[in-house]
Amino acid sequence: MSWAGWLLSIYFVGTAIKVVERNMASESTLAEQKASGQLVHRLCLLLVCLVWPLIWVGGLVTTYDAGMAVPDWPGTYGYNLFLYPYKTWLLGPFDLFIEHGHRLLGAVVGLVAISLVISAHFKESRRWVFVLTLGLLVAVITQGLLGGLRVVLGDRTLAMVHGCFGPAFFALCAATAVITSRRWNEYLGRQGVIRVGSGLVMLFAAIPALSYTQLVLGAQLRHVQPNASPGIFAMIVATHVIMAFLLWFLTAVAWLKIRRCGDLTLSRPAGLLIGLVAVQIALGVGTWVVNYGWPSILAWVPGSAGFLVRAKGFSDSIIVTSHVATGSLILAVSVVVWIRLLRVRHCCKGTIDPAATEREDADSSPKNEQKTNVSLLEPVIA
Amino acid sequence: MRIPSLIIVFCLFVGCDSRIETFEPNEVFSLALAKARSTSTDLASQDTSRVVEDLYGTPDEPRWPESPAAKKAVVDERNLFRASGPVSSEKDGTHVGLFREHCVTCHALEGSGAGPASVFQDPYPRDFRHGVFKWKSTERGKKPTHRDIRELLTKGIPGTAMPSFALLAPEDLDALVDYVVFLSTRGEVERRVTAAAIDELDYGDTAPIAELILSSQGDTEGGQVVQELVDRVHEDWAEAEQYEVAVPSFPELSGEQLVASVARGKEFFHGKVANCAGCHGPAGDGSLPTLDYDDWTKDYTTRIGLTPDDREAMKPFRKAGALRPRTIAPRTLRDGVFHGGGDSASLYRRITQGIAGTPMPAVEVVAEPNGKGLTTGQIWDLVRYVQQLSTSQ
Ligand code: HEC
Repeated sequence: MSWAGWLLSIYFVGTAIKVVERNMASESTLAEQKASGQLVHRLCLLLVCLVWPLIWVGGLVTTYDAGMAVPDWPGTYGYNLFLYPYKTWLLGPFDLFIEHGHRLLGAVVGLVAISLVISAHFKESRRWVFVLTLGLLVAVITQGLLGGLRVVLGDRTLAMVHGCFGPAFFALCAATAVITSRRWNEYLGRQGVIRVGSGLVMLFAAIPALSYTQLVLGAQLRHVQPNASPGIFAMIVATHVIMAFLLWFLTAVAWLKIRRCGDLTLSRPAGLLIGLVAVQIALGVGTWVVNYGWPSILAWVPGSAGFLVRAKGFSDSIIVTSHVATGSLILAVSVVVWIRLLRVRHCCKGTIDPAATEREDADSSPKNEQKTNVSLLEPVIA
Repeated sequence: MRIPSLIIVFCLFVGCDSRIETFEPNEVFSLALAKARSTSTDLASQDTSRVVEDLYGTPDEPRWPESPAAKKAVVDERNLFRASGPVSSEKDGTHVGLFREHCVTCHALEGSGAGPASVFQDPYPRDFRHGVFKWKSTERGKKPTHRDIRELLTKGIPGTAMPSFALLAPEDLDALVDYVVFLSTRGEVERRVTAAAIDELDYGDTAPIAELILSSQGDTEGGQVVQELVDRVHEDWAEAEQYEVAVPSFPELSGEQLVASVARGKEFFHGKVANCAGCHGPAGDGSLPTLDYDDWTKDYTTRIGLTPDDREAMKPFRKAGALRPRTIAPRTLRDGVFHGGGDSASLYRRITQGIAGTPMPAVEVVAEPNGKGLTTGQIWDLVRYVQQLSTSQ
């Protein structure tokens, strides 16, 4: 058990959130509205686009138990990571292919993170965003170290921590991409369409919190210790299943709350979450079935009676790995929605006369919107 | 210097794997034995653990006893090395720690069948320590051959959680087969030694005299008893091949001959001798209500006078690591799924041997019809009927 590992991730994400929250509030009043350089945002997007595949490959590494295919680290069989003969890599055993590939991709992510910090240093006017990119770099280095130690020590617990930290990092990249986007500033001009109370923010905070918990529970099952107790394993399974449906329910409620908010950057991903969780539940069942066969409660499924589990089957490992990858995707998307919602909330707080917001039903008040716009723009003009 | 300290800091902070030093003792068996003999088995089980570790080593460093009889059982020590220990792999892609990679979540480190993921499985994963196996080509009371286990690993057991490992490298399979034999042998010796300590060596609430103390060396009486048990279990494995059930050739029939044979088979199915319908139901769909348990469960329940669904009585056993007792039901023969294979040879063996460890009885093979058993021809009739049932849905 390594709750410390979990705490580590929570601490990281928590700190980042605090930084974002604190600064979001001040920023909207200060009208510090220079958009981040395009480059910064693009690098963030690149990170997001690289990290998800990285999670896929990492997931495959675990599914195939290939984590130890290259027993040394940071080098690969004594070679520098980048100088390992590519032919041996591509044509060698599958284990080596994915493990070395995972390391290469990870290194590329690290390089992109470095360029992000550099470009943020020059192009990003908001200091806290620069700090955030620094945080990303620290996180990616930590993750690399975790992965390396996992190999050097051949340790399953570290593998689990590494597996839990990856998605947290992915979510953080997604959040940074949102914060550096141009739209981030456009929120200022669009306020008043919905009123974001603390209840709504809490609801939307619960989704990433729950999905991360799910992720950690899943990792406990996936990286189970050989001498773990069957009772505890069964308990984790039960919790994982119940929470999955709870999460699904929450995403539905959350979507209902903001489906008419008029802001597609909020309602669309919120709707997407319902679908993603549904897919994830199906993948979860699939993951169980390809690992342990059909459970008795699903014995009514046609064909389940004669189902044969096939160890290390390719399509099976894809099901298992996509369960892992979809989990991270749900986390990232829910963090994105939540951060945007926070943004909306803080913009309102800073600029709208609270009495006015309370009086009107913000949902359908174009007048209110206009008024907000004016009051929003005022400080900028002044 | 810097990297090790970094590692230590990390382990303190994050927590690393708990080390696996020894095989856990078979507490469920000690408890059952204590109950059966009305005596304390603590001392016996302590000394057994020590002796068994001397003989068979630990999960990370398995060993194979040296005695001549023990040597007969063909287990390659290099295979034991490959299958044991933590999961890792070598440069050429060969994996080591195969058992923990592929089997441990179900079968557990000791092969007790109570691995972390076992709770939701029905049937439960096999407890290898009884030395009893269901799906094999040998006589009911005998060990399976290496070939049997190997075939089982390739085919898997459809309809149960037991996977097919056909995609593994052949050497990996060989290593795993040897490791199953290792765990089973080790576990059975452990059971037998504990029992002998109580029954033959005066173990009880107090330790016996020095001469009778369990030992892995054969000089004292305690040592000799252990040696005999080791030899016996190893010999059982070594001679398994001799007890392979020969299957007479299966005459392929067609047309009217087949119809007639199936009709006769149906009569035997319902008849007094085989009386398959008595358990599998007149329609062969396993729908008759039955209440029975397999031998792995009976070992710590009915055989020592406990009722498996008596929760209070089961509590100490569950605490000691036993899974919740689960009934075993006669299978439906109509869904085309045979856990041990549906080919004629497998069915012949199933009918003539029954299924070891389960209530499924054997039908005696007789030379002439005599009302006590079935002749080979009659068994083939029954096989054809069962095969026909399985395809008729
Ligand atoms: C997903 C769970 C699972 C995994 C993984 C698994 N098994 Fe099993 N195994 C089972 C179950 C369940 C049974 C019992 C099936 C039955 O009773 O018909 C079983 C039965 C067996 C048997 C006994 C067959 C017999 O004739 O009685 C052997 C031997 C065996 N497994 C070996 C292995 C080995 C070796 C591995 C690893 C390579 C392995 N198993 C991995 C679930 C598993």
